[in-house]
Amino acid sequence: MIDLSGKAAIAGVFESPRRDAPRVHPFALQMDCILGALDDAGLTLKDVDGLCAASGDWAEGGSTMDVVELAEYIGIAPTYVNSTDVGGCSYILQAGQAAAAIATGLAEVVVISYAACPRWWPLSSPSFDPFVFPAGPGQYEIPYAPTLISTYGLFARRHMDLYGTTPEQLAQVAVTFREHAAKNPDARLRKPITVDDVLASPMIASPLHRLDCCVVTDGGGAVVMTSRERARDLKKPPVHLVGYGAAVARTQNSQIPDDLTTPAALSGPRAFAMAGLTPGEIDVAQIYDAFTITPMLALEDLGFCGRGESGAFVADGNLTLGGSLPTNTDGGGLSSNHPGKRGIFTLIESVRQLRGEGPGVQVPDARIALAHGLGGTFCSAATAILAR
Amino acid sequence: MTVMTIPPVQDETSAPFWEAAREGRFLIQCCPETGRFQWYPRAHSIHAPHARPEWVEASGRGELLTYSVVHRGNQRGDPYVCALIRLEEGITVFSRVEGVAEADLRAGLPLAVAFHQLDEATSLPVFRPRTSD
Repeated sequence: MIDLSGKAAIAGVFESPRRDAPRVHPFALQMDCILGALDDAGLTLKDVDGLCAASGDWAEGGSTMDVVELAEYIGIAPTYVNSTDVGGCSYILQAGQAAAAIATGLAEVVVISYAACPRWWPLSSPSFDPFVFPAGPGQYEIPYAPTLISTYGLFARRHMDLYGTTPEQLAQVAVTFREHAAKNPDARLRKPITVDDVLASPMIASPLHRLDCCVVTDGGGAVVMTSRERARDLKKPPVHLVGYGAAVARTQNSQIPDDLTTPAALSGPRAFAMAGLTPGEIDVAQIYDAFTITPMLALEDLGFCGRGESGAFVADGNLTLGGSLPTNTDGGGLSSNHPGKRGIFTLIESVRQLRGEGPGVQVPDARIALAHGLGGTFCSAATAILAR
Repeated sequence: MTVMTIPPVQDETSAPFWEAAREGRFLIQCCPETGRFQWYPRAHSIHAPHARPEWVEASGRGELLTYSVVHRGNQRGDPYVCALIRLEEGITVFSRVEGVAEADLRAGLPLAVAFHQLDEATSLPVFRPRTSD
């Protein structure tokens, strides 16, 4: 078996500074990001032989052949592609698989790209979306009109019942990431908030208030990966992919495990094992935060704290710049940007932190970063560990 | 029921479930090889993949496992309660809880199934407080 750790590197990244892109097609935004990331790496479109995308969902502009449509739009004919769509963490999964493709010679320069424009997108959801289509497994749930947020609410309420987690502890997640966003000029929301502000904001789906929920922005980003050897000679210092893991588990609410274990409990240990590292060795983390409960469960499944202990872990300040695990240093989805599948930004901000280029708060001399995402409602998970 | 999306797409596997629901009976599946129950209904047993599950009538009793009150969402209408209910048979279903004030919702609340007629083809199971066994 090939040891994948450190074989591939991220050579370039770019995040669109846009948070509103009225009447901009998501493919046009992706092209901006792809060119930005290639320029960051000192490469051009002519160097690219691999393309990864997951652009077939609502407001992403593509359909079931999204990666083909995108290749045509940007004007390349890649010989390695991946359009695996497992929700928000797809791009972390694609980074792991791109590393494997690079390590085995299937590809040399791979672009992973994403953009969505939910703020103006005029078309309704595709009817085959498992979260809206009342057929097969969905026929027993969709007729009850669950909302995405209410499913996160089921997790949050049960976490409170099982472990004594409080609304104040959940709110602290939003307060902490807003502190980080306050320093990021591109962040959607930058005005500091308090726990009381979160609790006083309107209830959306109990126990989650409006400020427990991510922002909804247009936006996009891209990542360029290549071999360790080629990355060494490019424009920016390489960031190596040293650990990777992914897993998928469920879509239906009835299949939520009693103890709220998510597939991060599978992706995390695999990533740490590949990297030969432990959670205590991570200098900075970017953990998908669609809602305040989202990173809390990840902290437990990834082993940063024990089962049920994430409320106290957050309240103790561990996620702040001076804490044991500075997290979502750009402000995350709760404050910076969230077009719909935010996983790409966890990779981009990890790279910026390792280069000392963080636009929000910067962890001094960060050497090892963790990028973690989920898809759907804790349906899937992917974890990447990156190192200088 | 104040909020509803399009009705379920009934298929070969699910037809007996929806047929029984129209008669006010709540069916679940049981594995003929292991005797274990499963939810949601499938064409195969998740406990013995080559076995075809059998339909059995559930007691319709269960308790509230967790819930979320939808105050604002994609649908218009009054707040409604999305919930996971643990059935007496040991399986968990997703449904609505009705007839309980938000302040009285709590894990462990005893519930019993009731049915809402959506249209001629569909009665939808929901759960209401259980007053007696």
